[in-house]
Amino acid sequence: MDKIRLLLTVITVVIVVVPLVGALLAYQNNLLGLFVPPEITQIADDLMGGDGDNGSGLEPPTMVGEPQYNATAHTFAATFEFKNSFPVDITVKSLTGNIECEAHRFPLGNASLSEPVSIDAGETGTMTVLGKWTDEGIDHLASAHGNEENVDVVLVDFAVDISGIQIQLDQSQMEQTMQVPNPAYQG
Amino acid sequence: MAKINWFGLAGGAMTLLVIVVSLFYPWWQLTVGDDLIKINASPVNTNFGFLDTSFTIPFIWALNVIGLLTLLLSGVAMLIYSIVPAKSFAKPLLDFGYKKPLFTFLFFVIGLVVVTVILRSVLSINLPLMGTATSTISIPFASGVTLSVLLSAGFQWSFWLAAVAAGLCIAARLYHKKVAAVPRV
Repeated sequence: MDKIRLLLTVITVVIVVVPLVGALLAYQNNLLGLFVPPEITQIADDLMGGDGDNGSGLEPPTMVGEPQYNATAHTFAATFEFKNSFPVDITVKSLTGNIECEAHRFPLGNASLSEPVSIDAGETGTMTVLGKWTDEGIDHLASAHGNEENVDVVLVDFAVDISGIQIQLDQSQMEQTMQVPNPAYQG
Repeated sequence: MAKINWFGLAGGAMTLLVIVVSLFYPWWQLTVGDDLIKINASPVNTNFGFLDTSFTIPFIWALNVIGLLTLLLSGVAMLIYSIVPAKSFAKPLLDFGYKKPLFTFLFFVIGLVVVTVILRSVLSINLPLMGTATSTISIPFASGVTLSVLLSAGFQWSFWLAAVAAGLCIAARLYHKKVAAVPRV
C-alpha cells in the first residue's frame, strides 16, 4: 500500500514538474516568450505602429464635398472619409459630437452618424454625419452671425463606437472645422 | 456481490467527461467589444482570440497540460477504486483521486480572482468575473484619447459540470466508509 502511495506521489510530482520544466527549457533563450507569445507582439506592433497622426492607427476623418443643409428641418448632412489604419476590419457603429461656433465657441447643436459603416483593413470608408441645430444655436447664429451666409463651425468631443469599443477624443486630439450654410442668415 | 462505490464511479466518469468537454467548451469566457477579443479559459485549455487570430500563452499552456494530466489520472484512479473499493490498494487510489477535481476547480477560481484583482489594482481595468462591465482605458501614446470597452464574462456550463464532478468525488470519499467497512463478526 505504501508503494502505491509512493508511486502516486511520484506521478503527481512528475506531471507537475515535467510540463513546467519542458516549457522553461523550450524558452530558455527567450523567457519573455513564455508569457508573451509572438502573436501578442505582432498585434501590439500593428495597433501602435499604424499610419495615424498619433501613431495609434487612428486618423481624423476628412470632410469631402459641401454639407447639405435642410432649411425646414434645421439639419445638415456632411460626408466624411475615414481611413481604417488598423490591421483589422472595423465597423463604425456610431459617431457623435458637438457642433460649436468656431469664433465664439458657442454650442450650436450636435452631430451623429446616419448609419453604421463597415471598413476593411487599410481601406477608406465614407460616412455621412447628420447635424442638428439647437434653438439656442440658431438664436446665437441670428444674433452673432446674422449677416453671414456661411458660418465656420467645429465638430468637437467626438465619441466613436468602433466594433463595440467606444473611443472618446477630446478637443486637443481631434477637431473638425467646416463651413456650413447659416440657417439664420438674414441677408 | 462485490460492492461498488457508485459516487466514485460517477465522479471518475464525470471527471473524464469534464476533460473532453473542456477541450471544446471553456469554463469561463470573456468577450471584449463585439467579439473583438475573446478569452476562453479552463484548466485544460486556455486560448485567446483577437478577431481571426487565435493563440495561447506558453506558460498557461504548460499549466493546462498539468491540469489535463491531473484530472486524467484522478479520473482513472477514481474509476479503478470505485470498482474495487474494499481492496487494499483502493484507499490510496481514492486519496489520490478524490481531491484533485476539487483542487483544480478551486485553483481555477482563485486564479481568475487573482488575475481580476491584479488587473484592477495595477492597470485599473475592471474585469468582471460574471456579467458585464465597462472599462475605461487612457492610451498612453495618444493623449486625449480615451477608450471605453464593454467587457462581458461568465462561467459556462462546463464549469458547473466540473463542480458536479468535484462534488461526486467528495461524496465518494464520504461514501467510502460504507462500502469499505469491515463487517463485524
